[in-house]
Formats: sequence, C-alpha cells, structure tokens
Amino acid sequence: MIADIGKRGKIVMRDKIILDGGMGTMLQAAGLGLGERPELFGMEHPDIVEGIQRSYVEAGSEVLYANTFGANAHKLAGTGYAVEEVIAANVATAKRAAGGRARVALDVGPIGELLEPLGTLSFERAYEIYAQVVKAGAADGADLIIFETMTDLYEVRAAVLAAKENSDLPVWTTMSFEANGRTFTGTTVAAMALTLTGLSVDALGINCSLGPAELAPLVEELRQWTDLPLIVKPNAGLPDPATGVYSMSAAEFGRQMARFPKLGASIFGGCCGTTPDFIKEAAGCLKNESVNTERKKLRVGVCSSARTAEFGAVGEQAGIGERSSLLVIGERINPTGKKRFAQALRECDMNYIMERAIEQEDAGADILDINVGLPGIDEAEMMTRVVKAVQSVTLLPLQIDSSDPAAIEAGLRACSGRAIVNSVNGEPEVLKKILPLVKKYGAAVVGLTMDKEGIPKTWKARVAIAERILQAAIDHGIDREDVLIDPLTLTVSAQQEQAVETLKAVRYIHDKMGLHCVLGVSNISFGLPERIRVTVNFLIQAMCCGLDFPIVNPNQKEIMDAVFSYRALSGADKDCAAYIERFANAASAPNKDVTSVSYKDAAPLPPAEMTIEAAVLKGLKQEVANLTKGCLETKSELEVINTELIPALDAVGEKYERQQIFLPQLINAANAACAGFDLIKTRIAERGGGSLSKGKIILATVEGDIHDIGKNIVRVVLENYGYQVIDLGRDVSVESVVEAAVREKVSLVGLSALMTTTVSSMQRTIDRLRESGHPCKIFVGGAVLTEGYAMEIGADFYAKDAKASADIARKVLG
Amino acid sequence: MQARLTGLNEKEILLYLGYRGQEYPEELKKQIKRCEAKVLAEASPRLVWRRMPVDGTDFLSLSLEGKDVGELFEGCCEAVVMAVTLGQGIDRLLVQKSVSNVADAVIMDACASAAIENVADNFEADLRREVEAEGAYLTDRFSPGYGDLPLDAQIKLCAALDTGRRIGLSLSPSLLLIPGKSVTAVLGISKKPKRRRERGCESCSLFYDCRYRKEGKNCHER
Repeated sequence: MIADIGKRGKIVMRDKIILDGGMGTMLQAAGLGLGERPELFGMEHPDIVEGIQRSYVEAGSEVLYANTFGANAHKLAGTGYAVEEVIAANVATAKRAAGGRARVALDVGPIGELLEPLGTLSFERAYEIYAQVVKAGAADGADLIIFETMTDLYEVRAAVLAAKENSDLPVWTTMSFEANGRTFTGTTVAAMALTLTGLSVDALGINCSLGPAELAPLVEELRQWTDLPLIVKPNAGLPDPATGVYSMSAAEFGRQMARFPKLGASIFGGCCGTTPDFIKEAAGCLKNESVNTERKKLRVGVCSSARTAEFGAVGEQAGIGERSSLLVIGERINPTGKKRFAQALRECDMNYIMERAIEQEDAGADILDINVGLPGIDEAEMMTRVVKAVQSVTLLPLQIDSSDPAAIEAGLRACSGRAIVNSVNGEPEVLKKILPLVKKYGAAVVGLTMDKEGIPKTWKARVAIAERILQAAIDHGIDREDVLIDPLTLTVSAQQEQAVETLKAVRYIHDKMGLHCVLGVSNISFGLPERIRVTVNFLIQAMCCGLDFPIVNPNQKEIMDAVFSYRALSGADKDCAAYIERFANAASAPNKDVTSVSYKDAAPLPPAEMTIEAAVLKGLKQEVANLTKGCLETKSELEVINTELIPALDAVGEKYERQQIFLPQLINAANAACAGFDLIKTRIAERGGGSLSKGKIILATVEGDIHDIGKNIVRVVLENYGYQVIDLGRDVSVESVVEAAVREKVSLVGLSALMTTTVSSMQRTIDRLRESGHPCKIFVGGAVLTEGYAMEIGADFYAKDAKASADIARKVLG
Repeated sequence: MQARLTGLNEKEILLYLGYRGQEYPEELKKQIKRCEAKVLAEASPRLVWRRMPVDGTDFLSLSLEGKDVGELFEGCCEAVVMAVTLGQGIDRLLVQKSVSNVADAVIMDACASAAIENVADNFEADLRREVEAEGAYLTDRFSPGYGDLPLDAQIKLCAALDTGRRIGLSLSPSLLLIPGKSVTAVLGISKKPKRRRERGCESCSLFYDCRYRKEGKNCHER
C-alpha cells in the first residue's frame, strides 16, 4: 500500500511511515568521488541512482528522497547545469524507481553558504534560491518537499516560506543536531519546534547528526514542544574519523530504531552510512511497535533561533511557582518620547540601536520589543533593518511592535525564530488585517482591551473586549496559549480609579480566562514626582494579580530588583539562585545606567589627579561621563569637545604613535571618551538642537568581506573626533555605498577590506563612486592593503590605522 | 582524536595586539584575562579530518596546485586533510562586542586567533604522535593561501571533508571561512624523515593580517 502522506496537516500520526536511507554512501560505493556533486553524478548515471532507489523500495521505503539535495543555484553555479534540469532529471529517476509503490520527495539540503548575520547570504536571496528549487520540484511532480540536514533555523524559515508560498505540497523539515541538543549554529530543539510548528509544516524531526541511540533524548525533548508527526533519520552510528567509514551493523541499527515509536515518533529512515539493508532491518524491527500518541500538555514559548522564552502556566489551577514564570519585555527600542533614538532611526544609526539591545539583554530582559514607528520613515523597510540588526547582536526573542500590517509582516518575516506581535485590539477591522499574519508566521499576539470607543472605564468591559479578541484569534486558528492580553495601564495622577480597574482586569484575565497578561507599566506614574516608586509598586501589585509579561525599562535597577525579588518569593527562582547571584555582592550589582558602567578592570584615580585627559587615557568611562557633566556647567558643548575631549584623544593618539601604549589602550581610551560624547549628543538631541557634527563620513567593510573589527575601531575614533559616521556595516554592496554617498551628500568615504579576494570589490566600489560623479574623497584600510596598493586601486588616501583615519578626516573635513 | 583547546598563549595574543614591549599596565592584563575567559567559554572547537593514500598532489581526487604543496608531499605515501573551527559562538561574540565594546572585541579577536592556532597545533601534535608510533613521519601543516597554494583550494578541501555537514564550516563566495576562526590544512606522511619547513611567514595562518609582516618585520626571527 502506498504511504498516506496526506494533504497538508493530515498525516495520521499513529501510522508509521518508512523513509529511505543514505544516498551519498551508496553513490560513493558506486564511484562518486569525494567532493563531487551527487546530483550531477545522478544525471550522468541515472541507472545507478535508480538501482539504489529501487533497492530502497524493495527494502520497505515508502518515501524516496529524490537525488536533489544540493540542486540549488549556489551549489550548481559554474557547473553549466540549470537548477531546473538537474531537478527534473533526478525527480524523474526517483519516480521510475518508485514505480507507484512509494512517494517521491523533492529533497532539499542547505544552500551551502551561511546566511546573515554571521554569513553573507541575505535572507531574501536564500528565499529566492529555495523558491526556484520548490517551483521546479512541484512542476516535476514531486509528492512532497523535505528540507533536511539543516543547521540554521533562519535558513529553514526562508526555505519553508518559499515552499508554502510557491507550492501546495506537504512540507517536512529535519535539522541536524549535536549531542548537546544544538545545531552547529546554536539552534535548539525547542526553537526548531516552536518556529516550524508555528509555520505549519506538516512533519518535523531530526536527521543525520548522530546514531539512533544518541538521538533518543533529543526526540523526547522535541515531543514536548510540538504535536506534529516526528521524523527520525539517524546515521549508522558515528564514523571512524580517519576514514569516514561507519561501522554499525544493519541489525543493530534496526534494534536501536525500534525505540522511537514509544517516544512518539512515526516517520523513520536512515542517513549517512545506512543502506537498503538498514532500512529493511529497521522496517522489520518497527513493524510491531505502535506509536505512542499520548500527549502531555505542550510547552509553549517564543524564541530566536537559539534561545527560548518559555511561557509559564496560567489560571487559578496553576501552582504559584509555575504561574509566576515572569518574562520581562524590554521597551527601549522605541522612538516614542526619545529624541536621541528618533535621531538614530532617521540617520539609520544601527549601532546606537544595537547598543540598546545589548544593554537590555545585559540588564536581564527576556524579550525585546521592537518599535520603529516614526513619521516620515518607511516603517516596514526600517522594521526589517532593525530586526536584522538587533538579531546580529542578541539572541533574545523579539516582540514586533506596530499597528501597520506591512511593518508587522516585515518584522515577522525577518525574525529568526518565533515572535510576539504587539498588537491587535477589539476592532474587527484590525483583527481581520493582523490575525492572518499572526497565524501565517506562527507568532503569539498581544490584544489590547480597547476598540474604536476607546479604553473602557470598567474592568468588566475590558474583559469583554479580551473575550472578543480571544474568540477572533481562535477563529483564525491561533492557539489560546498564544493570545496575550494587555488590559492597559492608565496614568494614576490623571485617572486615579483606573489603576485598580486595570489590576482587577489582570486578575480576571489571568485567573478566570487563563490567559497571559501584558502591561506597559511605567505609564502609571506619568506626571508624578519620584516616578520610579509608584511604577515599582504598581509593577509588584500587577505581578501579584497575574501580570506575567511586564513591558519595562530593564535598565532601571529598581524595576529589575522587584522582578528578581518577585521571582524569589513566587518560587520561580529555584533556591533563590538568581536573586543571590544578583545581590550577593550588592556593590557590584548592575548600575542604574548600564551604558555608563565604568571600565571594570581599571582602578579609579585619586580625585585630585582626575582630569578628562587622565580618565580618557586610563579608559575610565564613568569618570569621563561625570567629568564631562561637570565641565558642561561652565562650558558649552562645543567648548567641552574642543578644549577637553579632543585634546585628550590627541594626547592618547600621540602616545600610540610613539609606541608608548598599544592598540587595546588606544581603543579603551576612545571608548571612554565616547561616554563623554554620548552625554553631549543626548543633551543636544533632547534639546532638539542641531548637530555638532564636523561632517559626515561613510564607513563600510566592502562586499564579500565580514571582518570588520578594524572598521569599527576607525568608527569609534572618528566619532570621538566629532564626525558623524554613517556606518553601513559589513559585506556592503557596491550599490549601497554609492547610493548612501549620494543620498547623504557625503564627501569622505572610508572602505575596509581584509582579504586579497575582497580588495577587488573595494576597487569596484571606488570605480563606481567615481563613475557616479559624486564628488568625494576615498580612504581605504585593511590588512592586505599598503600605500602603493591603495593608490593603485584609485583611493585618495591610505589609512594605516585608526589614528591615520582621524588625520585624513581632519585634512578633508577640517 | 578530538578537537582540543588546551590554552591560550599570552605572548601570541600580545603579538596579535601589536605589543612591542610598551608598558603593560595591570588593568590591561586583567582585561585580557577576562576576554580570554570569555573566548574559552564561547569556543566549541570541532575537528574533521581524513587520512588517505597520496599520489603526487592528487588525493581524494583533489589536484592541488602549486610548487610548494608538491614539495610538501614529495616522498609521502599518505596525506591528511584537516579542518578545525571554534564555531559560530565566537563570531557572534565578536560581532556583539564590536558594537558594545570595541576594545574587548579587538582583544577577544586576538584570543580567538590564538585559540584556533592552539586547536590546530594540538591536532597536529596528536597526529604526529600517532604517525611516529607507526614508525613514519609527519610533515608540517600547510594551508590554502600559504606560499603558492591558492586560496581557492579552500573550496576543494571543504568539499572533500564535507565540512558544512561535519563541523558547520562553510565558505563565503569571497573564500572566507565561516565561522571566521577556522583553519583548513593538508599534511603529508612519509616513511623517511623529511626536513621540516622553516616556520616562516608564508606558512603562518596569520599571513594576511599580520601587522609585523606589513611593516617588513617578522616574529619568528627575533
């Protein structure tokens, strides 16, 4: 009987399905050289591949993986073959071998190039590569699509979206894990399950990696996070490292596979080192095992590719400790009321935004809210940029905060894991627009208890809206566990009776409705003196009522103190371990303002010797900030910069040139000076004043190159000299540099390249800048460059180090 | 044989950081120690290697180009292809630190360079012990980009070892190894002792970003 793989989502879990075994192993035995492309070998020798696949069908395989694993535009580049013809030939071979007795899967492996942020392949390009593969496979009549041996969850998301948006075929996915339960890129079993179950794949699991015995604990873990059918396709044990040969016997493999139905898996096959014999043994051993379909309550959470924020239990029945699992949502990535942040958004200053992400993570946030709504900017485009930038420096899960469906979709798409959408409200129009996006991307969602009538005065009326939102979510196929309700914090100084109404709503939503609760807390104290006292008190009361997703500024020590205390008292913090760690050495507890923690390895100077210059030289951030503040009482911002900070930097630069200090000290000093500049910039931005910039400079690490520490050193130093640096980042395309230079009317561009292979893209960037006719000077730097080489590729200046860059800037911009 | 990261050579770290006998204050020492600890905690060293018969420079059906690799394998009966990496955690750490604290980033980058050298050296030493116990001799290791072995030999080595699947190591189109702190190399095994190559710049994996070399100096003759 042919396996029933069903229409989407309709696989019957108690029915076991037997897949095939290794293909690479068999092809090598048939003459495929190491490093040779199996898909091309399959085109030249269809009979060999067909023979292997036939023997899998005879061994009991009900699904054959077509020999299309690496048939993508990246891997086939330069071979002279088109993706479509390679897929057509190999799918046809598999169909002949199947002969109506087995299903044929379009088998799709990793692209072979790592995605951003750590690699150079963009998410969008990865999507295109997969879309091409999917369209070809669907046209050739594959029965389903399998993405396998994946290690990067971001890449899997691109793949699954490409499959769903370009075909109607069932989509199965399996990833490869190490024994520690993580893939090479750090993806956990939980993150895979949450993200892919959210994207509505039809089955998921684990392949390759290890032998069956080693995979068992990972399958058990996986079962806790998803109710989808599970796939297990292990290797034949571990290979001999010197020869790459697997030594497990087929009989042993079969015996070890027999454990998986009890663990709840229902789709079985073999990967590296397995042959038709292995599949035959496994099919035999699995025959009489029945699949365990018992389900405990699933674990729920949101995640990045590598970190999960697990939701606690809710409702009156939940134990105190469980109920109080508290997830702190950091609110600082938001321009509302923050002029400095708004300025950073307008200037596309991703570094400023990334710093806000890092400091919130360091302060203890569990989830980061991302809001980039600002009049006059393209919110969707900015959302993509900011989500990607934030994901490059933190692994915290994200909350996409917008009311614009296009921005929400952009954020959800760019996200590496499973996000929360903030927010919908009781308005049918809003629910109709946004809930389908929540469902499509498998997100959780925050519902605000308001509608076009505004915010109801009574807790009961707010609860009624919450009920409406919940019902609409369920109608869209969203699980109730994924609906978070925000009953809204109003300002106690303006509407005093509303604080209690909000708390009552929290209690009802948590206890009676059994839903998670979200509140932006700080609004409570608006307009009052000593705001933090009221804010913290309200936070504590709300947590006691059942608030489990407070949206706060985690950089405020008092807020996080309250959170840590609450977790200790509620039992969520086992043995008070986290509380003790935070306060054991109370003096070293996180400072109120995390950005200005002083350079922690340095001993402070005695007060009498403390000048800005001395503090900069010693790399003392906090002291530089304090001294700058002092100076600003008697001097203007510009004076402080020109008579204090810059002379201090010059003195440090001179010591560096005379080799009295070396690189780390130079940068420590620049970092410390930054604390002074940041203070000044924030003051000016808050005043709404103009910029103090001495001119704009573009910096970029050129296309194809991702080593950008050198460029970052230059950035810090140039910023300290008062230049506005537009840092385009790393692996920046030629077009982006030219476009930014023209748009921002920049007259100095700095390019960095580390490798001989990327100096060519540096040259192309210079050529294109010249061709554009935009008048600007160009300086270049990087490990492989020399003065002569720099001139040869048409640069105006060669910067041998960061100090030299500052001298060049002075020459060009003054 | 396992990937082993056994320690960081502080001298090497200071060399990478451009240290030339300047004053080396206590707080900088502490900062470097702190960075070392972070790098050691984030590194997850991995190794994949193959040992196979060799015929000239054609093994695993790879034909490696260049005079130097020919010399390396002269008289050798077997070849070893290896790849080691510290994993993506280090890359992520360096990206994060280059935003939040560039000084730490520079120091951690140096520590990570020392770490991957240590992992590669340890493998070489382990292998040498094994080979010598068999009564044979192991040459030095030789990487793409050294001498006249072109950088694009990376493509062949990574494909032959299936590094993406085995240790999560891939190549960018501009031939950067990703994760960045990774080394690929070949070594030869001969029945007769071979003169070891000079430990010079062209057989050093820092060849490309060594600031001593750029200044016309070197570190090995001091």
